[in-house]
Amino acid sequence: MITKREKTVKTSIIVLLIVLVLILGLPACQKQTAGESGLQNITLVLDWVPNTNHTGIYIAKENGYYDDEGLEMEIIQPSEGGSADLIAAGKGEFGISYQEQVTYARTTDDPLPIVAIATIIQHNTSGFASPADRNIKTPADFEGKKYGGWGSPMEEAMLKGLMEKYGADYSQLEIVNIGASDFLTSIARDVDFAWIFYGWDGIKAGLEDIPINFILLQDVDPLLDFYTPLIIASENTIAESPDLIEKFLRATEKGYLFAINNPKEAAELFLLDNSELDQELVIASQKYLSGQYMGDSAKWGVMEKSIWDDFSNWMYENDLLQKRLESDMAFTNEFLPQ
Amino acid sequence: MRKDIKNKVYPIIFFIVLLLIWETVSRFEVFPPFILPSPSSIIISLITDFTSMQYDILITLYEALTGFIIAIILSVAIAVAMDSIIGFKKTIYPVIIISQTVPIIIIAPLFIIWFGYGYAPKIIIVTLICFLPIPISLLQGLIAVDKELIDLLRSMGASKFQIYKFVKIPSAMPGFFSGLKIAATYSIMGATIGEWVGGKSGLGVYMIRAKQAFETDRVFAAIIIIVILSILLLKIIEFAEKKNMPWLKIPDEYYIEK
Repeated sequence: MITKREKTVKTSIIVLLIVLVLILGLPACQKQTAGESGLQNITLVLDWVPNTNHTGIYIAKENGYYDDEGLEMEIIQPSEGGSADLIAAGKGEFGISYQEQVTYARTTDDPLPIVAIATIIQHNTSGFASPADRNIKTPADFEGKKYGGWGSPMEEAMLKGLMEKYGADYSQLEIVNIGASDFLTSIARDVDFAWIFYGWDGIKAGLEDIPINFILLQDVDPLLDFYTPLIIASENTIAESPDLIEKFLRATEKGYLFAINNPKEAAELFLLDNSELDQELVIASQKYLSGQYMGDSAKWGVMEKSIWDDFSNWMYENDLLQKRLESDMAFTNEFLPQ
Repeated sequence: MRKDIKNKVYPIIFFIVLLLIWETVSRFEVFPPFILPSPSSIIISLITDFTSMQYDILITLYEALTGFIIAIILSVAIAVAMDSIIGFKKTIYPVIIISQTVPIIIIAPLFIIWFGYGYAPKIIIVTLICFLPIPISLLQGLIAVDKELIDLLRSMGASKFQIYKFVKIPSAMPGFFSGLKIAATYSIMGATIGEWVGGKSGLGVYMIRAKQAFETDRVFAAIIIIVILSILLLKIIEFAEKKNMPWLKIPDEYYIEK
């Protein structure tokens, strides 16, 4: 007859064995399949939900351009705007960000070690959009209105600088954090205007027959024709894996060139990976954006120092930055294909 | 007396040692400050920023307390109804359980769409989060009354209302207060979650702004405030509990601290 003590001992041993197996088994399950297909795993962190700003990347993935360079690309969506902190923390090799975010991140007390390696769109297609009935035609009209943003100090800096330039009272502007809310839903009831990319939310408003007033930033002041969105990498990656960056940009440029020359096919390829998006919107947006990626430049992705300096000087002179940006450290064209 | 001091001293020493290790790790810049700020920088930003945080703290407190009070009123009403009206418990109980399993983090953005960016959605979220613990514990207390006591009162001709007043509610008090304490710890956190999804002011909005400015020490400072507020709320309830149930001898170890 088996005694109670023996039973307890037996059960404990079995439990211990199970626990041991689980503990040992866990790392094996989590191990990345690096080298399984001989490809190097890389991660790209988006700035927001996938949209046509990112088409080139999705095309490079779908058409196998990354595979050709020996890269296994994984695209990740963050919870809020911009990937600067994730890339700085090493949670991904590449990220989508904006010139204003890079400028701000590199001039705080504790600067983030991120560098822009290519710009996705040559000229600034973003601006402040509002329903036509709010009569917001210039930044002076922001007074007494409600702005819906994502809580970044860069937005406040931009709004302050613009309003003061037009002689308006910044304290008369109400700023609300609307997080990840959809533009059209927010302006319907809760806020008066928001900062959008024309190529996405602007086109969407047009498709839904909602008349909007759009203040294109580069129209307000040529110094505000900055690069947005752009691709960033950490200083670490640049120091340790420069050829990885070259391979990545080679494939990504191919993706964007494809999108420039074949907007309709590009839209369809993009939709393959993002089938939950509105087809009509993606196709219309892609038609607009395909002509914007390269703009008037001879090459995709190239950035000019004057653009970086102009913008950071504008911010600094308006007391919106803590110190001047050292633009040579903030961006580089050296990894773009020759 | 000895035991008291021991109870307090051990955790305090442990906590200080932890802080020292943390501070040293930060000094050696093992992690960059925007990932893990040092305790000293957190304390400094807490002190320097306190005045500008005050408004946000008040807003979050207002949302949390309003939602909490609404939750208390609702849950007392529902618990008493579940106890006194036959059949009500069977219909309502599953609904309550289901309402608690809905993931708040997903529901919150929906509330914003339905109710806008003002206080309403945050108060509703707090009410939802605080709701469950209270009716459940209160109901347990009401049910667990000694049957003989009720029979005794009935034999003396007591009405239903009198039974509640003299026997059921007093005996349900311990359960009620423990439910209150659980709900209180969630209330501040609930208001913050509501603010993350969208809002003009409050600790949650403050935390998002700090995060977007890469000022992680401010984020931690806000977390400390949230913890302090929740503990304060807990202490107030414990005080009310002691005052309300003088007949109950609760050993001192039952409370967090004397």
